[in-house]
Amino acid sequence: MSTYANSVDPPDLGMLPTFRRLLHIWREQWRLGVFALTCSLLYTLISITIPILIQRAIDHSIDISRHEHRQPLWPYLAAIAGLAACRFIINFNRRFATARIGVRIEARMRELLYQAYLRYPRAFYDRHATGQVLSRATNDLYPIRYFIGWGLVQGIQSVMMIIGAGIVLALVDPQLTLYAAVSLPPIGIVAYRFGHLVSPISRQVQARKGDVTEAADEAVVGIEMVQAFGREDDVRERFGDRAQGVRSAALRQATVESQHVPGLYYLPALSIAAVVFFGGRAVIEGDLTIGNFVLFETLLLQLVWPLEAIGWILDLAQRALASAGRSFAWLEGIEPLPDPANPRHLPPGPLGVRFERVSFAYGGEVDVLRELDFVVQPGEIVAVCGSTGSGKTSLLNLLPRFYDPTSGRVLVGGVDTRDVPIAELRASVALVTQRPVLFSVPLRDNLTAGREDADWDEVLAACEAAGVDAFGPTLPDGYDTLIGERGVNLSGGQRQRVALARALVAGARVVVLDDPLSAVDTLTERRLVGRLRPALSGRTVLVATQRLSTVEIADRAVVLLDGRIVESGKPAELLRAGGPFATLFGDEVVAA
Amino acid sequence: MKGLWRYLEGRKLRAALMVLVGAGNAAAQTGGWLLVRDAIDNGIVAGDKRHLTIIVAIYLVVAAAGWLLQAWLIRGLAAIGQAIVIGLRRNLFDHLTNLSLRYFSQQKAGWIIARLTSDVDAVSDVLSQGMPTLVSNVILLPAAVIALLIADWRLGLISFAVLPPALILSRWFQRVSHAANVEQRNRIAAVTAQIAESVAGMAIVQAFNRERRFQAEFDALNDANRAQSTYVQKIFSVFFPSIEFLGVLAMGTVLYFGSHLYQSGTLTIGTLITAIYLLQLVFQPLQELSDVYGQLQSAGAAMVKIASILDEEPEIRDRPGAEPLPRLEGDLDIDSVVFAYGKDPVLHEISFHMAPGSCFALVGESGHGKSTLARLIGRHYDPDEGAVRVDGHDLRDVQLRSYRRQLGVVLQDPFLFSGTIGSNIRFAKPDATDEEVEAAAAAVGVDRVAARLSGGLEHEVREGGAGLSSGERQLISIARALLADPRILVLDEATSNIDRPTEVLIEQALDRLLRGRTSIIIAHRLSTVRRADEILVVENGQIIQRGTERELLAVDGPFRRLAHTLDGGEPELAAAG
Repeated sequence: MSTYANSVDPPDLGMLPTFRRLLHIWREQWRLGVFALTCSLLYTLISITIPILIQRAIDHSIDISRHEHRQPLWPYLAAIAGLAACRFIINFNRRFATARIGVRIEARMRELLYQAYLRYPRAFYDRHATGQVLSRATNDLYPIRYFIGWGLVQGIQSVMMIIGAGIVLALVDPQLTLYAAVSLPPIGIVAYRFGHLVSPISRQVQARKGDVTEAADEAVVGIEMVQAFGREDDVRERFGDRAQGVRSAALRQATVESQHVPGLYYLPALSIAAVVFFGGRAVIEGDLTIGNFVLFETLLLQLVWPLEAIGWILDLAQRALASAGRSFAWLEGIEPLPDPANPRHLPPGPLGVRFERVSFAYGGEVDVLRELDFVVQPGEIVAVCGSTGSGKTSLLNLLPRFYDPTSGRVLVGGVDTRDVPIAELRASVALVTQRPVLFSVPLRDNLTAGREDADWDEVLAACEAAGVDAFGPTLPDGYDTLIGERGVNLSGGQRQRVALARALVAGARVVVLDDPLSAVDTLTERRLVGRLRPALSGRTVLVATQRLSTVEIADRAVVLLDGRIVESGKPAELLRAGGPFATLFGDEVVAA
Repeated sequence: MKGLWRYLEGRKLRAALMVLVGAGNAAAQTGGWLLVRDAIDNGIVAGDKRHLTIIVAIYLVVAAAGWLLQAWLIRGLAAIGQAIVIGLRRNLFDHLTNLSLRYFSQQKAGWIIARLTSDVDAVSDVLSQGMPTLVSNVILLPAAVIALLIADWRLGLISFAVLPPALILSRWFQRVSHAANVEQRNRIAAVTAQIAESVAGMAIVQAFNRERRFQAEFDALNDANRAQSTYVQKIFSVFFPSIEFLGVLAMGTVLYFGSHLYQSGTLTIGTLITAIYLLQLVFQPLQELSDVYGQLQSAGAAMVKIASILDEEPEIRDRPGAEPLPRLEGDLDIDSVVFAYGKDPVLHEISFHMAPGSCFALVGESGHGKSTLARLIGRHYDPDEGAVRVDGHDLRDVQLRSYRRQLGVVLQDPFLFSGTIGSNIRFAKPDATDEEVEAAAAAVGVDRVAARLSGGLEHEVREGGAGLSSGERQLISIARALLADPRILVLDEATSNIDRPTEVLIEQALDRLLRGRTSIIIAHRLSTVRRADEILVVENGQIIQRGTERELLAVDGPFRRLAHTLDGGEPELAAAG
């Protein structure tokens, strides 16, 4: 089953195919793109014209040693001011247009990724850490945004500026242009090298900051342990080490900055010196006017930024292509769970469940379930027992099709789950997971997540059966209390009870409970077990559990061992039989 | 940011030196242009090639010096900044570990952690990256103005005409862009939270067919973020071209007045040209400072929040002259203890006495004060009235550390630190030898758990102990308590939540652990309660019944009613069996 693992972890796309796809996305914004490029061209032309006007003003109106007529200065100044005003408007439009392209493409990529995330199979989430999945749709998008938004247009503009200024300067004095250009290539190289060196280091700094977070997290969450054992000094030392790690990484970054940033400030001095020295001599010889001398200085200083920009953009392009390559690989390479080509529908009425010679293994690993046969009658409540790691959760996860069996079939209401439209299947199978997941919305919305139009009386009934009524009304805003980090943090047991109530509200005909009361204290559990049975009547229920008291809900218990069902029967009979079930729970009874 | 000043202690001289270096850097940038002026007037216009060569050479030396000074400035300021940051971080952390559990129960863990991390990081960003920009530009701006005045005071005055609009513009930009950036961060945080929540809860999202709803919520957040990004970009797109525009206007003004002065013979052409470039040096710091401004604001806000933790007084601290405890016998006396978290007391005049080596069990429904009592024994809180005494010493009179080193605690949900299983056991006694750790592990059966994991005791525990069952985590925490060899032991519901086979292991481990120690057990399981010498039934902060198991079961009282509901008392099934 190695293809299974590959299908959720496709290799990154190469540079060229990635670039083609990025261009494709860029073309969706072609109007803005063309507009920005037009502005760029105008901006370049004006930026070259203004220094020429200054040169004219100096040579014809100020320092007229070489002309008889002093021309009035004001037309030049008026033209300069007018062009500057035009340039302001054009520059605003160019910046805003390119930025909008970037912002839109960032939002678009994020939307595509999120859409895909919602469809990816469980195997994808087994394979990739949450942090990685998250950062691909957040931080990893920034290089893409800046490259495709700002970088592409700025790069083209930089090239236009260099060519335009080069032509103007070469027309005035080709030799001086050559001398003056000496410092320009190094500026681009320094900028590129800097970007190239500093981005991995700043990632390191982030990683070290993550270490600090981890150490802080541990100490704060485990503070009772720390204080109880009087081990404050040890955690301080540990935290201090992590903090030291951030410091060294930050200093390494400062070192790289100190090696490159001053270069960007002072390298242009070489060009200025060249113009003053060679240009000055030419002025003395009479080969160059003082106005042209100023033209050289001004245009050269104007080239510094475009050259830096080219350096940044080259580095940015690499990072953008790398991270876009990863994103496109996910978008194109991962298949969502396929809906059946010829869907069949579930029959009305209570649904039975049947596992037929079902084997299952997580991508490439050993079989967790082995040719398991297991039937649950419509309306029957069955407890699935077994020690940790016996495959209970894997068995339950096959029902809502989080996974498909590697061989054999899972039938719900007599229909293979793979033939039922996914939405229909999942609407008919309600699930309570081992670690309950609640969303950061009001309690009310958490309860009705499975059926939004549920009648409020039904919800309250479910809350009573699941024991939510014991704490729900006492929350600050009752059932409208916001749950989660920004609201109220419920205890593990409370979360489980909400999850249970949610599953009851969903009104599904099959209910799958994976150790639903493990975090509920024993007294409460005892109360709930009595109420749950009637609430579940008429539905087909599979409940996995470690506790004998929860088994009491069930009509029948089965024991899972080594991927097979090894025992089945009424709990009381199984206890008497002294088989695997009695081994799992027997001591509890003896103890009583 | 004032709170940072004291971390500068011992580095003030170096900080002053850095200001000098920054001044040198500014002098090199502005002085360079004054040299260019000299080269034009006394070299080019005067036709003196030798002078021109000399000045260009000096100019290059000055630029090289500026280069070095700036490199030194960046490195030096980062070193000082990081020293301050590490001082702040450590101080904050030390302070936190001294605060009582009350503080940690009142503040959300996430909030506290954010102070130690993202807030300190915000301060750090300003100190290591913002500082060089801040220092060099704060000096460069006046330096450029002064250089202009030196070049020609009349042209220098022009700079005062263009500076006010530029300053107003920068101020506007700082204010608006900061507010916009803060909002932008909120919106991207909302997007991130939405993605994080969906990814973490994807099983439920898919199981309940919630994809479309989540997509809609995400789209709204993503659009809001996009709109805000666009707005931020609009502000930037206005500001930088405006500064560029002002720069050209300033240059035109210089040209205009300069040409008049030049024609009247009171201004050299070199000064005129240099003034154009010096003016650009006035504008450049305005742009760069605007970038740092947001960072400064965030760091200031972060410092306020950090200070709120630093101002928190540790509630439990050693009294002056508190004596260290000698090795305890284990005599524990709870004397008329009253305690309240808020207004209403949780414990009402509880009294009992435990002889060294005895074992008491506390039973009762949750929320009636059992765990609070355990925490008073651990001196996580001090009683409002009455006293907790060990070997006759009031806990408030002894050195906290010396007491807690003789105390062992096993909690319901044992917390494991990242590291190996071995290092988690060693946590209680860092100087323990490997043999001692192994012995403790073997004594409670952790060695058997470890044997099936790769690496045995060297098996890496992931954060919070994920990957181990709660029973396995419990065994490790018992081994930890055993290694600490405490005289007094507190077990808070140490055996709930565990499957039966593991529980048997834990029961055996507890036998080892409890031997010869004074111990308090808070329990839900009959089998655990049974080992106690005496059982105290706690209800509403009072002891309502006490005695041995046999005595208590003999009478129709609270314990007998409770016994039916305790885990392990399985009346129906037991009857069936």
